[in-house]
Amino acid sequence: MPVPDGEKAKRRVIVIDDQEINRELLGMILEDDYDVLYAENGEVGLHFIRENINTLSLVLLDLVMPVMDGFTVLETMRADPSLHRIPIVVLTAEKSAELKSLKLGAADFITKPFDAPEVIRARVARIIELSEGRSLIRAAERDELTGLFNEHFFYEYCQRLERYNPNWEMDAVVVDIRRFNLVNEVHGREFGNKVLQQLAASIKRNIEHEGGIACRLEADTFFLFCRKRESYEELFETLSEDVNREVDNAHVRLRMGVCILGGREVAPERRFARAKLACNRLRGKYSKGINIYDQEFHDKEMHYESFLNDFQRALEEKQFLVFYQPKYNIEGDKPVLTSAEALVRWRHPECGMVSPGEFIPLFESNGLIQLVDYYVWRESAAQIRRWREELGITIPVSINLSRVDMYDPELENKLLDLLRENDLKPEELLLEITESAYTDDARTIIEVVESLRNHGFKIEMDDFGSGYSSLNMLSTLPIDVLKMDMKFIQNVREGSKNFRMIELVLDIAEYLGVPVVAEGVETENQVRLLKNAGCSIIQGYYFSKPVDAKTFEKFLLEKKEVLK
Amino acid sequence: MTVQELYEKIGGDFNAAKKILPSDALVARFVVKLLKDGSIQKLRDGVAAGDSKAIFEGAHALKGVTANLGLTTLSDLAAEIADEYRPGRERTLSDDELGAKIDELNAKFDSTSEEIERFQAQ
Repeated sequence: MPVPDGEKAKRRVIVIDDQEINRELLGMILEDDYDVLYAENGEVGLHFIRENINTLSLVLLDLVMPVMDGFTVLETMRADPSLHRIPIVVLTAEKSAELKSLKLGAADFITKPFDAPEVIRARVARIIELSEGRSLIRAAERDELTGLFNEHFFYEYCQRLERYNPNWEMDAVVVDIRRFNLVNEVHGREFGNKVLQQLAASIKRNIEHEGGIACRLEADTFFLFCRKRESYEELFETLSEDVNREVDNAHVRLRMGVCILGGREVAPERRFARAKLACNRLRGKYSKGINIYDQEFHDKEMHYESFLNDFQRALEEKQFLVFYQPKYNIEGDKPVLTSAEALVRWRHPECGMVSPGEFIPLFESNGLIQLVDYYVWRESAAQIRRWREELGITIPVSINLSRVDMYDPELENKLLDLLRENDLKPEELLLEITESAYTDDARTIIEVVESLRNHGFKIEMDDFGSGYSSLNMLSTLPIDVLKMDMKFIQNVREGSKNFRMIELVLDIAEYLGVPVVAEGVETENQVRLLKNAGCSIIQGYYFSKPVDAKTFEKFLLEKKEVLK
Repeated sequence: MTVQELYEKIGGDFNAAKKILPSDALVARFVVKLLKDGSIQKLRDGVAAGDSKAIFEGAHALKGVTANLGLTTLSDLAAEIADEYRPGRERTLSDDELGAKIDELNAKFDSTSEEIERFQAQ
């Protein structure tokens, strides 16, 4: 729909000519349709151009002028990328000047004596229209900040590159900056932009000479389509060094995912998606900078993929099983069963028992873990009730809360419903939350935990020592139990460094006034050490591996016997 | 005196002027601006100082302005002089010939100015 003239903003143009009569003539011709600025030489003209850099649609430029001539203006404007958008029409009477002006990037000419006003207006309108179309394309094709391609056009160019160079073997590489949001946060956006520009410049330097191309996808994610190389270490190191050298105090760490699989029969989009996946898998793994998507990676992915496909059916068919591992109090002469931890297993119809290590990280990465968790909670709560009803003994069971559960607004209601449905007290359903969840977003987690504690739930901090809680934070944490995993504390001997580590955890627990549960305990020696160090509760293969509910009954019956 | 009559007197191409300046009134409004145009002074100063760059710039500017006003005689003379002084180009006229051209241009400019002043004064 055409825009009514009255509503159309006038485009701004500038006339740079040292002769007042010429300026006035052009003004007379253009002023009805355009907002016209005037300058009497190149220097004044450039000043106005820069002042109106975003609003100027066209420059009408005389060539012979005092102070600064038109050729200099042309050269200056073409050397400055921020001025490339603005088309220049040269005003000249000389045929000979035309070629030179064209080479310098003039878009068109208006000859002196001037043509009829209609002709000049038509020319000006056409050049503006052309340049706006072109700058639209340029804006769509190039990333403004870095001058690299953007995603849409990039894939097109990747395909062309392979089409025209049938012998080239290309790899898809994804580079991004670890915790880039922090760079922006700490140093400001301008600083962040500088980092991105330097990284882009280094990428160009290192891949363009061999025919590679690059784009910035969004924020700090760069896609590089480059010639296959033996190893990507060198490229990775060079990019890291360049950006940290060029930007003072940048201290940025890169990640790189490389898809070496596929070749041209796989669309570039897919190859980059794979490289991105490999790159994303480096999250949290600070010792490794590069991740390669190769056949092995691919097979594993396919395996995961099939797990994902099987997930819904697994839930429906109750392929997930809840196992229970007993916790014993070792303070007295004889160990006493105090509680159990509910642990999930997957009995896959084709793969058999799948270890939690294989599927939990996968389901954590896509949020499905929430469904698994809830399934386990429900089973556990019902089991506590069944044992009470069938054996007349109540044993608290710890259930695990994943990070994503902590953000579930319905978390509290779900847990309270389970208590109600099974007639349980809150201290009978213990809640384990991993320490690293606290360090991620302490404030939110603490709020949730406090609210749960107000309902009477007991909170166990899982994997204590594997996260990075500060002592200061610990003292304010609302927790009831610390869990320490012996897996991380190998070869404990009295007086050894690792042993002092255990003592330290116990000291912290004492300071906080909470008991410590040592899990992963396998040997009698460990039990003795822990007991001597003052640890009261033990969980691990030493007593029992996780077992199904039926098998677990024997521990309950033993306890019942003891209580008698 | 109409503006068309003025053009006849000063040897201007009224139709050329009308091509750019669509009405008689506009032609009249613009032609008097020649009196305030600085290019002839620049050329004259350049000649007095023997500064060929200034001569070129003055002549070149005058050529453009007078061409736009349809003052073809002046414009042609200015063009010839500008070409002679164009940086990097070989001279084709002798000093005497060139001196005569400049004199001719000066005289033509003065007579044109007088007529325009008379036109403006009426």
